[in-house]
Amino acid sequence: MNQSTPGSMAAWLDGVRRSVSRVGWPVTDKDRAAAMISSLFLHIHPARVSRHVLKPTYTFALGLIAGILFLVLSVTGLALMLYYVPYPPEAYRSMKDLQFVVTFGIVLRNMHRWSAHAMVAIVFVHMCRVFWTGSYKPPREFNWVVGVLLLLLTLGLSFTGYLLPWDQLAFWAITVGTNIAAHAPVVGEQMKFLLLGGHVIGPMTLLRFYVLHCVILPLAMLLLVSLHVWRVRKDGLSGAATQASPEEEVAGVFPASTKTYGLMALSKRPRASVEARDPNDEVFAWPHLLYRELLVALAVIVALHVVSLVFMAPLEEMADPTRTPNPAKAPWYFLGLQELVHYSTLVGGVIVPAVLVLALLIIPYVDRDPKGSGRWFAPERRITNSIFTALVALFVGLTIVGTLFRGANWAWVWPWR
Amino acid sequence: MGVAVEIKNTAPPRLHLAFAGLGLALLAIFSWMLLHEGTAEWRTTQARFRRLEATVKNPYQLAQSATVAGLRQIWLPDLGRVDRCRTCHLGIDDPAFTGASPPFAAHPGAWLSTHPTDRFGCTVCHDGQGQATDYVNAAHQPQPFVPRPMRPLETIEANCGTCHRALDPPAAPRLAEGRRLIIALGCISCHDIPGFEGLTFRGPALDSIGNKVRPGWLAVWLKDPKSYLPQSKMGNFRLSTDEIAGLQGFLLSQRLQEPLDSTGVDWKNADTANGRALFGELRCVSCHSINGRGGTMGPELTRIGDKVARDWLFSYLKDPHRVQPDTPMLQYRLTDNQLRDLTAYLLEEYSSAGDGSEPPSATYQDARLVSAGRAVFERRGCQSCHRLAAIKDAGRIGPSLAGVADRDPNEWPYGSNVVRHTTDNYIFLKVLLPDTLGQPSLMPTFGLTPADAAKITLALASIRKSDLPASYVLRRPAPAPYQPAGTFGELVTRYRCLSCHSVGGFGGDLSTVPLDRIGSQLQHDYTAKYLLNPGAVRVNVEARMPVFRMLPDEAKSIADYFSAVFLDDSLDQYDTNFTPSETRRGQELYEQLGCRACHQLGTQGGYVGPELSTTGVRLKPGWIAAWLSKPQAYKPDTLQPDYGLSSADARALTAYLSSLGRSDAAQARGENAP
Repeated sequence: MNQSTPGSMAAWLDGVRRSVSRVGWPVTDKDRAAAMISSLFLHIHPARVSRHVLKPTYTFALGLIAGILFLVLSVTGLALMLYYVPYPPEAYRSMKDLQFVVTFGIVLRNMHRWSAHAMVAIVFVHMCRVFWTGSYKPPREFNWVVGVLLLLLTLGLSFTGYLLPWDQLAFWAITVGTNIAAHAPVVGEQMKFLLLGGHVIGPMTLLRFYVLHCVILPLAMLLLVSLHVWRVRKDGLSGAATQASPEEEVAGVFPASTKTYGLMALSKRPRASVEARDPNDEVFAWPHLLYRELLVALAVIVALHVVSLVFMAPLEEMADPTRTPNPAKAPWYFLGLQELVHYSTLVGGVIVPAVLVLALLIIPYVDRDPKGSGRWFAPERRITNSIFTALVALFVGLTIVGTLFRGANWAWVWPWR
Repeated sequence: MGVAVEIKNTAPPRLHLAFAGLGLALLAIFSWMLLHEGTAEWRTTQARFRRLEATVKNPYQLAQSATVAGLRQIWLPDLGRVDRCRTCHLGIDDPAFTGASPPFAAHPGAWLSTHPTDRFGCTVCHDGQGQATDYVNAAHQPQPFVPRPMRPLETIEANCGTCHRALDPPAAPRLAEGRRLIIALGCISCHDIPGFEGLTFRGPALDSIGNKVRPGWLAVWLKDPKSYLPQSKMGNFRLSTDEIAGLQGFLLSQRLQEPLDSTGVDWKNADTANGRALFGELRCVSCHSINGRGGTMGPELTRIGDKVARDWLFSYLKDPHRVQPDTPMLQYRLTDNQLRDLTAYLLEEYSSAGDGSEPPSATYQDARLVSAGRAVFERRGCQSCHRLAAIKDAGRIGPSLAGVADRDPNEWPYGSNVVRHTTDNYIFLKVLLPDTLGQPSLMPTFGLTPADAAKITLALASIRKSDLPASYVLRRPAPAPYQPAGTFGELVTRYRCLSCHSVGGFGGDLSTVPLDRIGSQLQHDYTAKYLLNPGAVRVNVEARMPVFRMLPDEAKSIADYFSAVFLDDSLDQYDTNFTPSETRRGQELYEQLGCRACHQLGTQGGYVGPELSTTGVRLKPGWIAAWLSKPQAYKPDTLQPDYGLSSADARALTAYLSSLGRSDAAQARGENAP
């Protein structure tokens, strides 16, 4: 570079900047569109979105929050991995080190645990939202299936992570959980052996759960989340056209259109989707969608920080295989199951969960009638919604009973006594 | 295309407001986090210390040492601990901070010189959660989910005992006393207690109990042993009347196969005055006490007349080992008439009723009662302490106390006792009041004082599953049992030498003289004469060797054995050719050093140490010289001062002392000395 004028410095800096970010801060509409498409991370968004997508009261951003929580969990998890040792006595001691020695260690650990619990809850509520708006109907059947798999992965991640502190709470919760799993017919004992890496919960189990929790399940999660979001991108958000005409509903979610965009590829699709939008109904993703996503992320992070600073994640004494606490309770999301197991091991531990998961998976292939999709509690779907709500309420009720109303020997207790 | 609606590409103001609000909230939270970390308890404590340091240490010393900042920890991988106590307790091993205010004060006492923090950390002795860096989490007070919070200082000796497994660990008197009580009160008979392996406690064998005791006495004893004998070691088993009746029947049915050899004794001519003389001569009070005065090795005799039957006592005194096997009592050589007189004296003098009649005892013939009593005997585990040939040895009745201090204190029952649920409290209650813990208990009530119960608690609280590496544990030395054979062995068994004397650490400690090198200490002839008529070497010692009434051959056998076996070669090489000048110099030294203050010579001198007029015929010169040179090497707690004598001076004193008693007059005096 041979120039020496002041203007050339600015030009040089501009050149550096442009090599990193091809578009820069967009000022024209073209730039706004280009900013989304030319970025590796941002191009999961379309260049323009329907205005109705911006309304929070349809999805409540639950899927986005789940994604943000996953991100928080990954970042905090990686930081925790620097200190945690997955071998039994050191595991507990490294938890104590995090609590007492590591700078911000308490916040790190608390945030990881509370966002894990939050993610299980949010994912569950997200599933309810998707059902209640009928958004599993064609063409979104497979995405629902992927979603159910993601739910199972979330539960698996939470369960494997639950053991890692290696305290009494962790050890016996996993004892209960794996014993429930062992009741499955034919494969139950093998499954338990596979999970535990042996016959008892010990160093092999901890290592196995650690690898599952940090590598295998997160990779599977990443894979399926990518597929899940990709499908949303391609099929569009259901219910974007709340003022859709009946003909539109019969034809699919959106009417067909001939409009094309030069900036992105057309996708061949059996039903109408993204291209069918009314261009006047649309706004640029930058800044409208992104800003709102940023605000949601900020809100989630602020809320997580507050909760992490106020509420300490539990840590009991070190795991002692010779001392069983009474009652020994599974993690909260399995307490409904444990309550059922109390009545009948086979029914509660094997049949009911298997039936529930199977039912969830085949819902979109059983209920293929597209009527009522895209709206909350559509009247056409009253019966379907009622059945689902009843089952959800029952499951939640059982979980509450297992959490609050069961004491030593699983006897009934009143929590206020 | 539809209507050209102008859609602004900027966000509405309410979103900006939300962004501003959330951004500020995030900033506030981050600032709070930073502040929280920056004002952590340990940091402010260290700041306080730095200000204190400036006033305690001189500026040059301060400038040379590193600034106190940052966490401090002691990592002990052998013990599996990390102790961060020094993060706040910064002056703990710096004498400059003696008397500073907590937490900066230096450690009191000299404990850190024997237990440096770099090797032991803090929690090994004090418990607590060493990994924590603030007051609450370090479990200075009991803290949820911390199984071992810091020990109150008055119980800290329990932690001494986790490493120091000896029965009398140094500088831990209450722990040592607790361990002694565990053996003395017989806890080891019913419970298998780690650290007390190989030790035994036995109550008297009951094979002849039916012959031995009066039934009335037995009922009183079984109901509450301490009502007969306040210092009885047997606890109160809280037996019901039926159980007592059954046990009575069962025990009274335990009689010797061969009859007692008291037939043909002319009781009408018993001479109780002779009996009294014999009682004094045989020195029974060395082992037995009367009205609280005397020895404690044997039973108290204050009311023996209420307890034992006449014929049994006669037989027992004649041959204790046949009538009651394993008894520590020796067998005197007495004639039947002497035994008769002694028996009559004991029963007449030491009883409250005094009429001496023998009530009939027929209850042992009721078979149902006997079998009921046998059931009680087995259920309450009497055979753990009292051997009985009729009962198969079923081992210890009580549970093993291995890891007793490791159990979860919340799992134990506390009955109606309102105490904090800790291991120490449970053990204390169980030892003191075993029947108040809300569960039926087989353990007797020992009637301990709370202080003694506390000491026993300390000893038991030191029993933990061994999580200590061998390099930290000081094992209990276990003396090998000493059982000589041959003629000497028979004599030792008959006269029960090991009840009072020890060899190689094994035996009794009533005598302060272990026999390991006695052959190099005492002269042979003196020993033989002494055993026939044990005299008083030290006036102020209450326990006296009993007059065995040995045969001269027996005394000679023992003396021969001593001189041949119980030797210390380092003492036997001494050159005994003393010159008169050495003897004179020794006499001068005797005056100079003031030996007369403690030792008698002739009719003058003090009563603290042994009298020395017969030293020349009593002690061997090699021993005298060695003892004078370094008394504490042979007896660490002796009152004999270490004068730092040169070997020449020691030799001179030895020469002088070896000359004493050799003149005829002194020899005559020595022979007639009591």
